[in-house]
Amino acid sequence: MFRALIPLALAAALSLAGWIGWGALRSPNATPIVGFSAPFVFGRFAVPTDNPLTEEAFLLGRRLFYDPILSGANQTACATCHFQRLAFTDGQARSPSLSGGELPFSAMSLTNLMWGQERFFWNGRAETLEQQAVMPIVHPDEMAQAMDELIEELRGSRTYRKMFRASYGEISADNVGKALATFMRLLISADSKYDSYLRGDTRLTAEEEYGRKLFMAHPDTKVSLRGGNCIDCHSQFLTSGFRGELDGFSNNGLDPEETLPDGLMEVTGNPAHRGFFKVPTLRNIAVTAPYMHDGRFQTLEEVMQHYNNGIAVSDTLSPLILEADNAYGRAEDIVGLRLSENEMDAIIAFLHTLTDETFLTNQRFADPFKGER
Amino acid sequence: MENYSALISVVLAAALAVSAGATQAQEREESQAMVLLRGLPTLGTKHSIAIVELDPESEQFGEILSELEQPDTVHPLHHLYYGPTGRLYSTGLDPACSLAEIGLARDDSGAPSVTGISCIDTQGQMVGEDIMWANSNGTEYMFVTFMAGTGGDDGGSVGVFDAQTNEVVKVIEARKSEVAEGAPFIMYPHGISAFEDRMVVSSTIHPDLATGVGNTVTIIDLNTLEPIQNITVENEKPLDFPSSPVEVLFARPSMHPDIEPAIMVNTMLGFETWTIPYNAETKTFGTAEVVYSGAKNGTAVPLEFYGNEDEMFISHGLPGVVKRYDLAKLPELVSTGPDIVADPGAHHMIFYTSASGRDLIAVQNNLLNLGNAADEDPTDIDFIASLNAHTISVHDLETGERLATLNFRERYNKGVDNVEALFGSGFVHHH
Repeated sequence: MFRALIPLALAAALSLAGWIGWGALRSPNATPIVGFSAPFVFGRFAVPTDNPLTEEAFLLGRRLFYDPILSGANQTACATCHFQRLAFTDGQARSPSLSGGELPFSAMSLTNLMWGQERFFWNGRAETLEQQAVMPIVHPDEMAQAMDELIEELRGSRTYRKMFRASYGEISADNVGKALATFMRLLISADSKYDSYLRGDTRLTAEEEYGRKLFMAHPDTKVSLRGGNCIDCHSQFLTSGFRGELDGFSNNGLDPEETLPDGLMEVTGNPAHRGFFKVPTLRNIAVTAPYMHDGRFQTLEEVMQHYNNGIAVSDTLSPLILEADNAYGRAEDIVGLRLSENEMDAIIAFLHTLTDETFLTNQRFADPFKGER
Repeated sequence: MENYSALISVVLAAALAVSAGATQAQEREESQAMVLLRGLPTLGTKHSIAIVELDPESEQFGEILSELEQPDTVHPLHHLYYGPTGRLYSTGLDPACSLAEIGLARDDSGAPSVTGISCIDTQGQMVGEDIMWANSNGTEYMFVTFMAGTGGDDGGSVGVFDAQTNEVVKVIEARKSEVAEGAPFIMYPHGISAFEDRMVVSSTIHPDLATGVGNTVTIIDLNTLEPIQNITVENEKPLDFPSSPVEVLFARPSMHPDIEPAIMVNTMLGFETWTIPYNAETKTFGTAEVVYSGAKNGTAVPLEFYGNEDEMFISHGLPGVVKRYDLAKLPELVSTGPDIVADPGAHHMIFYTSASGRDLIAVQNNLLNLGNAADEDPTDIDFIASLNAHTISVHDLETGERLATLNFRERYNKGVDNVEALFGSGFVHHH
């Protein structure tokens, strides 16, 4: 009986050894990101332990991002609605829907996503970047792709087999999300004029500096402090929303109570979150028009006019916006900053210092297929 | 077959564990601190700047996470400050590097590291102490006190630096020996604070601790960048030395709307805390008064002012305590609770939270970090040696209970000169 078991045990051991050896041959051989750097002032960031930043994952994610193979009809890539030149927005109020009409939201800029809020999309419906990355792929109005079909298509590609093997080991839906997330995490914009100023390498013009000071100040008429109140929602260095829990979501007074959209409430179910949307980064804001979650404002001037005298009051309006007023005495029919034209121009001048030409033209973030075609 | 599946599961789990361990995600850094470490001559260690974990709940408590040795200088860096645009600076005690900018970076896991020390040309100003950023005629400058100034027995200067380029814009000097009798002078400046267009610096002690000791503060007009007034802050002389005012704080309404503007001064060798009321309308200062006497209360060597949103904390080197007061009641010192009992040399402090959300205060306990005669250390000075615990003690902020102690001398053979929170946490009001 015992002897009879020996061949079986040997066979099992050989099978196991073979399986482990084959796995080793196919195991990922990922390497750290070359020359990674991020400004210290951007603050801490967390990369999931099961999806470390690697060069292979970045290159795979970039290829997937630009490849229409991700869509059901093989005609729509992530890059179809996220152009590098426009800081990975598409220049439209709302992107077109596959079923006709428009999607509910404007395409968000993909910049410095390792920092700021830990929820993604305007209404925060994705809790991780990995999750966010695959949601448009399977959405029937966006890329309308069945994930199992996509996996089969990718497995049919020698290039993808090789790239997945090097980065993650196998082609799977999870690893598609991870690769796209890695690419997006590394879309770091940190070389604008403002960054140069923060490093001490450049001076802002007088108007830009005035705008910076207004940006960073909450108005207080008691001490004659004038401010644009931007800092209350957009952090000093990243200019994105704040990271803590849902601090990075706000109702910024776009709509009155009667027409207030659900926003974050759609995700949390909490009526206190009605009309809340993700506070976007203002990095490269000058090239990401139109503005707001529905692209209702065409220019930065229109945005400033909204904050200056066009705030719509609703139950969930940010109290920081409601009380921010540079004029003495409450106006009966105006809720807003009541800044002068010069002050608004200065804030806009500062916002232009957030444009990062290096980021917008960096070949490392560009379409990898261009060189192959 | 079942066993085979189980084995596969085990192998996969092991592989995943290896993968997860390969990258340390940077989950939190609120409890990490920057420290300036002094090499101790008899222990063969070198001066350095380091990032250290100070959460008592962390398995890494006390670990140095990143460290950079100072270039070859005899004396160490002295005091860290973040500028308003997030750049980190340090003053220094060595004439070759009395002011420096510190490089910080993050690796691809988000972990911070110290990357460099760039000494700044001070145009001969030596022994940098405190830094603050303030406006003069609408332009923001970096102001630095240099306790030795450009040298001499009654030296001392306030360096005015371009906040962008770090270039010297002006050296504010007024030697007592060179100004007219009764005219305002600057001597051995250390503490610095400002409100509106008035700045105050203290007159502490000659850096050799022997040539001279001050007993005044100097008011500087930020419109002209010239000294305009000296105010004496000296009463009891428990050591029979001049009072040696050290840190100053211009208490002001921006710290709390209920605060009436006043200068507060700690006298290092007078053991007192003083207040000098300020009338912002007439731009005049009232009579200086003692609001706390160490001689009467059993404390000595008051040093730093630190505040959070509702309390003001003052460190006393001996016996090594931090006293706490109601911020809104300043410049009166209204106690908000028992002393936080730290160690001899209680000096700088930071405020932060533990992983579980507990509010903490860490106190750096060393006056000057000079050596101990018991080690045949030539830098020993008896009086100061008793003020060198070489520790950072961590306490519950609410109760003051000591939760942990990190002894740098025992663990790293170094002293600890300064502690500053890693960017994004820490104190609210300092100068």
